[in-house]
Amino acid sequence: MTRTVRLRWWISAVVCLGAVAWLLTAGLASNVQYFRTAAEAVAERTADGAHTLRLAGAVVPGSIHQTATGVDFAVTDGHATVQVHHEGASPELFTAGAPVVCQGHWVNTVFTSDLILIKHGSDYRPPKVTTAKAAPQPPKAAP
Amino acid sequence: MKGELGQFALAVGFAAALTGAVLAGLGAARRDARLARAARRFLWAVLAAAVGAVAVMEWALLSHDFSLAYVAANGSRETPTLFTVASLWAALQGSILLWALILALHLAFSARRWRARALEPAIGWATSVGLAVAAFFFALMLGPANPFNPVDGPIPADGAGPNPLLQNHPMMAFHPPMLYLGYVGMTVPFALGMGALISGRVDDQWLRLTRQATLVAWGFLTTGIILGAWWSYQVLGWGGYWAWDPVENAALIPWFTATAYLHSIRVQERRGMLRVWNLSLLLATYCLTIVGTFLTRSGIVSSIHAFSASSVGPVLLGYLAVIAAAGLGLLAWRGDRLRSPGHIDSPLSREAAFLVNNLVLTALTAVVITGTVFPLLAEALWGRQLTVGAPYFDRLFAPLGLALLVLMAVAPMLPYRAMEPRKLRERLLGPGIAGSLTVAAATALGARGVERVLAFGLAAAVLWSVAEQVGPQVRSRARSHGERLVVAFGRLVTGNRRRYGGLLVHLGVATIAVALAASYRAGAHRDLVLRTGTSGTVAGYTISYEGTRAHATPQKLTLSARLVVARDGDRLGVYTPSLAVFPGATEAVGSPAVRVGLAQDLYLTLVSSPNQAGRVTIGVFVNPLVTWLWLGGLIMAAGTVWAVWPARRRRAGPTPAPADTPMADGVLAGSRS
Repeated sequence: MTRTVRLRWWISAVVCLGAVAWLLTAGLASNVQYFRTAAEAVAERTADGAHTLRLAGAVVPGSIHQTATGVDFAVTDGHATVQVHHEGASPELFTAGAPVVCQGHWVNTVFTSDLILIKHGSDYRPPKVTTAKAAPQPPKAAP
Repeated sequence: MKGELGQFALAVGFAAALTGAVLAGLGAARRDARLARAARRFLWAVLAAAVGAVAVMEWALLSHDFSLAYVAANGSRETPTLFTVASLWAALQGSILLWALILALHLAFSARRWRARALEPAIGWATSVGLAVAAFFFALMLGPANPFNPVDGPIPADGAGPNPLLQNHPMMAFHPPMLYLGYVGMTVPFALGMGALISGRVDDQWLRLTRQATLVAWGFLTTGIILGAWWSYQVLGWGGYWAWDPVENAALIPWFTATAYLHSIRVQERRGMLRVWNLSLLLATYCLTIVGTFLTRSGIVSSIHAFSASSVGPVLLGYLAVIAAAGLGLLAWRGDRLRSPGHIDSPLSREAAFLVNNLVLTALTAVVITGTVFPLLAEALWGRQLTVGAPYFDRLFAPLGLALLVLMAVAPMLPYRAMEPRKLRERLLGPGIAGSLTVAAATALGARGVERVLAFGLAAAVLWSVAEQVGPQVRSRARSHGERLVVAFGRLVTGNRRRYGGLLVHLGVATIAVALAASYRAGAHRDLVLRTGTSGTVAGYTISYEGTRAHATPQKLTLSARLVVARDGDRLGVYTPSLAVFPGATEAVGSPAVRVGLAQDLYLTLVSSPNQAGRVTIGVFVNPLVTWLWLGGLIMAAGTVWAVWPARRRRAGPTPAPADTPMADGVLAGSRS
């Protein structure tokens, strides 16, 4: 391989790598969703602006109001409470006190969400083995 | 008792794999035929041990032997038999056991294929590396992921049963083994690559074996990924089939690098170039399967598919470090001997197109890996919890995917070495016109979005391009051999299975591209809140709610909504999406009801059961062309089978079609030095 050919290869390689790196950073920068508890979300409200984020907390009992297009409720993490306006259906086990994660963004002081997830730990399986160990009994159908 | 039997099988497997690895290595180093034969016998012992261990586990699961911790955690008396059998891969320890079985099967199958060449150093070392990998997985089961550990404390009367999501659809019994066949199968080309690097000698036959092993594993992986998407669509009930979930990504990442290898290997066959690159791709593919295994089994990502937290993570990370260091070290050591003198003459050549294909696929790998791992890095480095939204993947995937479609339309027309630009323009006329007409038609019919419309046009161009590569050849063959067109077509595609299998795979990819463009986040979606006796209309479908029925079994409580669907006054039938609540589970598991059609699917889910006012929420999705996604997968699988199916050998010697004659590559290294 002559020197010019090799140089050309190196230049094209650097250009390709640069392009991919730029695409990745630009893509990440605009699509990262921070995960915030209610208190964190309130503290970072002005900084986050209209950026999409995930808000975690428990549904405040008595705050749930069904609307024509969704549901309004409040979530709390014990330190701060956030009013949430949700557009769309709420999941089956959405009840007072349920731990939820809402995906959405701030509109003034109301968090507008388009997705509610019922939060479970990193583990999708409820810890049933421990109860089976403590009191061996056949599981009963849930009410 | 079963626990001891299982432990014994694992110990035998580990010992046999380790001994076999040492013997195979010694045999390759000393060129000793007896050692090589002995190593192969140990390989059969590994297979027997893996089969034995799996049999013991299935026996324990089916006989509800809750003295084993794994059975107590994943089996229950109420679970239907199919899911009890499938519980083998419902949790971490059992999934490693399945992994070991599939690895042993792959190794045994490969050893049979290689038996005529067992004395060659590259094959001997490959056997040794394969057995060493098997020894690692047996050690993993004897250590942190032991499936035969006894239960702590008193033996429970019943077990917990598998994760609710895993016992909701029979697909669960087929999708994971298929995925594992592909994932674990990547060990074989990796072992062959390592064998070549250690021995420093490879030839055409080695190249062929490695390519075929990769193609087989790739075919299984492709099928596994498509089945996974189908499972997601049919079971998870969110209306879609791909969510860029970390575990979906873990399967996709090595698929990209393996696809890159299957293309760039052609350049090595024809021109003797890219040897180091190709070996790097094999190494990277295997490392990425281990990264994927680490992601899914270390408990660091939360995902529907992820197994619960465990101590397997650090061990897998250590293993990854060892194989990556060994592979890179060998590449650095042998790199100079492997480097080839050739270079690419013209950007308008097949090899240049393959190079661009590899660049695009590498970029895709980088995109998906970055998006998948970034949240983990952010949490580890800055202590910030975040997720990378699906729009990141969508936005970056679309242009790169379109670039692949362009290549599929153009590259098969390019000859090796160089082509006159004028001639290329001539040949691109047909696909160009087909693509442009499709773009115009799609726009006129109301398709919106640049990427979507381009995907339709490019898929049409691919179709035309494939037709141009088959049609004229069939005609000229029919004329010169005096055959009927059908006969000429059959003989042509059987004569060069690899080429036409590959083109068929391309047709499958184009089909999937169309389905993706039409359906991905594109269908109509509305949630209807209905009371008994009322109805709502979405995209022309009228959905009437006729009440909910509860059905309780010891396994689960199922609520199903009875929906009557009509369109234009025609009653289309009754659909019953349901929600199942499993005892002790925190989440309800929905089962959608899907009216499958070639043009569009009507996808109904029960979002929430009747509230105090007796109203249910029904999720209604109208998803266009989703069925073509599965059909495209079927076409890809058929193309792969066509390509790997062994050609009939004639005694007179190999007579491949001229287009496929590999350039005499000689010994790639070794003899040259």
